[in-house]
Amino acid sequence: MMTADIHIFGIRHHGPGSTRRLVDALDTLKPAAVLIEGPADLSDLLAHLADPEMVTPVALLAYDVATPERASFWPFAEYSPEYQAARWALARGVSPRLIDLPASWRLAPATPPEAAPDSAVEPAPVPSEAPIDPVARDPLGALALAAGYEDGESWWRDVIEENPDPEPVFEAVADAMTALRTGVDGKVTQGHDVFEEQREAHMRLEIAAAARDATGPVAVICGAWHVPALREKRSAKSDRDLLKGGARTRIAATWAPWTTPRLAFGTGYGAGVAAPAWCDHLWRTAPAEVVPRWMLRIAMALRAHGHAASTASLIEAQRLARSLAALRERPAPGFEEMRDAAIAVLCEGERLRWEVIARELLIGSAVGVIPENVPLAPLLEDLKRQQKATRLKPEALERELALDLRSEAGLARSALLHRLAILGVPWGRLTDAGRSRGTFRERWVIAWEPEYAVNLVEHLVFGPTIETAASGRLLSKLADAISLPSIADLTRSALTAELPLAASAGVERLSHRVAETSDCSELLGALPPLADVARYGDARGTDSEMMKQLLERIAIGAAIALPYAVRGLDAPAAEQLAALLRGADAAIVLTEPAADVLIRWREALDHVVTDTQAGQRLAGAAARLLYDADVLPPDRAALLFGHRLSPATPVANAADFFEGFFEAGSDRLIFDDGLRSAVNAWMLSLDEETFTEHLPVFRRVFARLDALERRRLLDAATGASSTGAAAGAVFIPNAAEIWSRHMPAIMAILDADPAEDGQ
Amino acid sequence: MTEQLRQPAEKAYAAELDALRAADTGQKPQGWSLSPRSVVTYVMGGKAGGIAISPKYVGDKRLIETAVATLATDRALLLLGVPGTAKSWVSEHLAAAISGDSTAVIQCTAGTDENQVRYGWNYAQLLAKGPSREALVPTPLFRSMEAGRLCRLEELTRMGSDVQDTLITVLSEKMMPIPELNSAVYAVRGFNIIATANNRDKGVNDLSAALKRRFNVVVLPLPSDIEEEIGIVTRRVGEMAESLDLPAPKNVAEEVRRVVAIFRELRGGETADGKLALKTPSGSLSTAEAIAVMVGGLSQAAFFNNGKLDAECLAPNILGAVVKDPVQDKAVLGEYLETVLKKRPDYSGYYRTLTDML
Repeated sequence: MMTADIHIFGIRHHGPGSTRRLVDALDTLKPAAVLIEGPADLSDLLAHLADPEMVTPVALLAYDVATPERASFWPFAEYSPEYQAARWALARGVSPRLIDLPASWRLAPATPPEAAPDSAVEPAPVPSEAPIDPVARDPLGALALAAGYEDGESWWRDVIEENPDPEPVFEAVADAMTALRTGVDGKVTQGHDVFEEQREAHMRLEIAAAARDATGPVAVICGAWHVPALREKRSAKSDRDLLKGGARTRIAATWAPWTTPRLAFGTGYGAGVAAPAWCDHLWRTAPAEVVPRWMLRIAMALRAHGHAASTASLIEAQRLARSLAALRERPAPGFEEMRDAAIAVLCEGERLRWEVIARELLIGSAVGVIPENVPLAPLLEDLKRQQKATRLKPEALERELALDLRSEAGLARSALLHRLAILGVPWGRLTDAGRSRGTFRERWVIAWEPEYAVNLVEHLVFGPTIETAASGRLLSKLADAISLPSIADLTRSALTAELPLAASAGVERLSHRVAETSDCSELLGALPPLADVARYGDARGTDSEMMKQLLERIAIGAAIALPYAVRGLDAPAAEQLAALLRGADAAIVLTEPAADVLIRWREALDHVVTDTQAGQRLAGAAARLLYDADVLPPDRAALLFGHRLSPATPVANAADFFEGFFEAGSDRLIFDDGLRSAVNAWMLSLDEETFTEHLPVFRRVFARLDALERRRLLDAATGASSTGAAAGAVFIPNAAEIWSRHMPAIMAILDADPAEDGQ
Repeated sequence: MTEQLRQPAEKAYAAELDALRAADTGQKPQGWSLSPRSVVTYVMGGKAGGIAISPKYVGDKRLIETAVATLATDRALLLLGVPGTAKSWVSEHLAAAISGDSTAVIQCTAGTDENQVRYGWNYAQLLAKGPSREALVPTPLFRSMEAGRLCRLEELTRMGSDVQDTLITVLSEKMMPIPELNSAVYAVRGFNIIATANNRDKGVNDLSAALKRRFNVVVLPLPSDIEEEIGIVTRRVGEMAESLDLPAPKNVAEEVRRVVAIFRELRGGETADGKLALKTPSGSLSTAEAIAVMVGGLSQAAFFNNGKLDAECLAPNILGAVVKDPVQDKAVLGEYLETVLKKRPDYSGYYRTLTDML
């Protein structure tokens, strides 16, 4: 049957070395049919590759129509052999075909577990080669590693490219693979599981079919690992038997824009490469210029980061790379030699400097572009499904929507609206944001705008469904976020949008950032939103224990940093820190941390109170927090007040303390006799001039009381009643007399509104 | 047995060097006594002929390869690292393997002047005969240039910047002018410089950009593996305790493990299990400092604690090693104590003593 002229080219996925050789081989062979490893039912989409507007990296995307979370991507870079083979064929009027198991089969629910597309793999969804073991994934890379190369491409060049003719290169690869896959019994071992066998059987059948119809040579482009199995003679019947009874599902497919970071192995794409930008460089640069140009790119990246990298040192780096290659007995410097040389010469031996530029240098940041005529439907379709499921209709007119998060339907609607908001689609607007957190109720105003559809489509790069796209978007934002409060905010959005993966990534980022920072205000500022998250987590049934631990760590960190942070601050900075301090204290008390955390926190506050170098504004604020928590007993408080407000203290300091203490509310004065008398004594000790100087402070403090409270304080201060609490209601016979006697002294203090003066 | 307290590497390891030389088939750069590959084998360990070559440096082979490749070009090599990372040790062995002689050393200090780097004068001769080659006193650098050997400069950054810069001409033009005689000394093939410097110390003379550009820099890291580091500390502490006549209590090994664990966690910025990220103090917390902490603790135990080595003897030394900056480092250590050590029952002694002292 296999009579036609079949040529099987075993390639390295995303390997520019093998791509170059493959293109040469195709030019020589001039095949009449080009068959490529890839889901057979997506063959029609390959025609789009001829569109000049399509810019790599792009990915074939197939998803189950019924459950779009079940989706697979097959990414292509400019230097991918599959992409170049398809482009070669399209340019010469040969229509390329994909021959692997159809996507409708792969995405069917009954597929073997290891190939089951599961949205748990984030952010990159299931790669086409569900990685079985590293050897099968990238056998050439494994061979390179065994030969002491970290970079498979350098090995390919040193070992395989030594051979000048294109065809024997692929023969050599096939031989190596046969050796790798040949068991002790001398037979080619089959795939590690039924799924792999089915894939190879499908490919064999497709090749045979193509060979029957072809008018000339047939070129087959597949992963090197499959070559021995595809060459084997098997009866068509046994192959067909293998494929019998496979479940199918209805799929939809399209092209999706891809990014270079997601071509990288490190970012979750199983069949990815270690350094996409290096591969791209190898593909675009003439072999003779690979070394100098790569060195130049390293130097440019270093210069962009503000390091000097002179032309002379570039030359030296190249010389060192050559000499290292000679020492390691390699024909020319490869990736590792250039890296080692760059570290020794250009980075002054500091690995850290290399690592700073490495991500940008090795991974790159290119984003693919999809021409307009390609349907970009999955997110919109998912939106329609979700709208149906949650029974929310897109309406242009504003409408109020109250959600009860205790009901399943309410939770689902809330999650959808939150996720859309993350994707830049503000369909719903929370009207009582902030207040409703931690409760079971959310109030939204919803209104749909047509341009939302466009916003949504732009986010296809993050995933095919609203959930995965929102999660991917948050993850990428998290990667860029630096300050604790902003990370805490993102984590909170992840929780409210029911995106557990992004939430746990957020928590992880938080814990790293907590360790990195010792900036007290950053730590303090992160506590309130985190307390929200911890409490909100409760309402949503997420793991709040972890959040609580994190919160306690931050509280301890803040407690340790606090005594140093309160020194030497100017007035605005002190005011800011005092506000943060109060917010943080409220958050800590609210989350009910372990007893020792609370004690540690209060010790820090106490330290601020007693530290003579601390800003008095903050000392006052800390004293108030301790006083309100009943840690500072009233008698000690009175003593402290008397001490801090005593004549020996500079008046400015005393006023700061005074304001810090009463900033959080001055109603305490009405009830608290000891406190009041201490304040009273201090005020009376002030001479006319100083008193006038401090009037603004007193006004600020007492203006916080409303008219009734002011009246009660007045009564209490004038001794009109022994129990201040009931003062407002007690009738005093000689009130007019007392009133007029104290009037001049008291009015100035209490009257916040100048218009009332003299009445 | 020899009278000499310590022999230079080329004598102590003469047998290994001979074996390597006999088995060496690789191409030798001019002036080298071994091929670059054999030099790497000598430092990293391996086999030559029938003789086992002991590893002199335990760590990343790539670093040594970079160092040897650097010397094979005409670039000078600068070994950087915190104290106790075997910089001088590596430099001595490289010189022994490459030139067969590791004794051309200039120990750079704040008092090193140009005469000790370039050449000095024999003043009696100078007065008697005027400036002449006979009146000139060559330095190790001078001799190495003439003989085509490696010259080692120890602790390069401790020398004044103006003196350091006299090396620039030597490194870039491979010659040293002698203006007094209107002549110059030209380096013979095989000449090169290995300098070592400490990259964590403050208050030393940083290399000028012009000089730095002429060196290829290899940074020797701290041991990456805890067992390796414990081994190094235990061995060195044993040696030092012996030379100081300090009795070593039985629990030294245990305490070494704890101290090294604390050092590694603080230095690395995360707990050993990787679950918790930590802040790092400003000091380097090198292996050498861990050794100093242990020796200090041993001495305290021997003289003030009836020979009992416990957390109370070691904690003050740990505190001294960690807290270099009285504000920042205290906060770092405080957080470490509260979030990590507090929860470890076998570190309770350290937690208690350190908390008290903080």
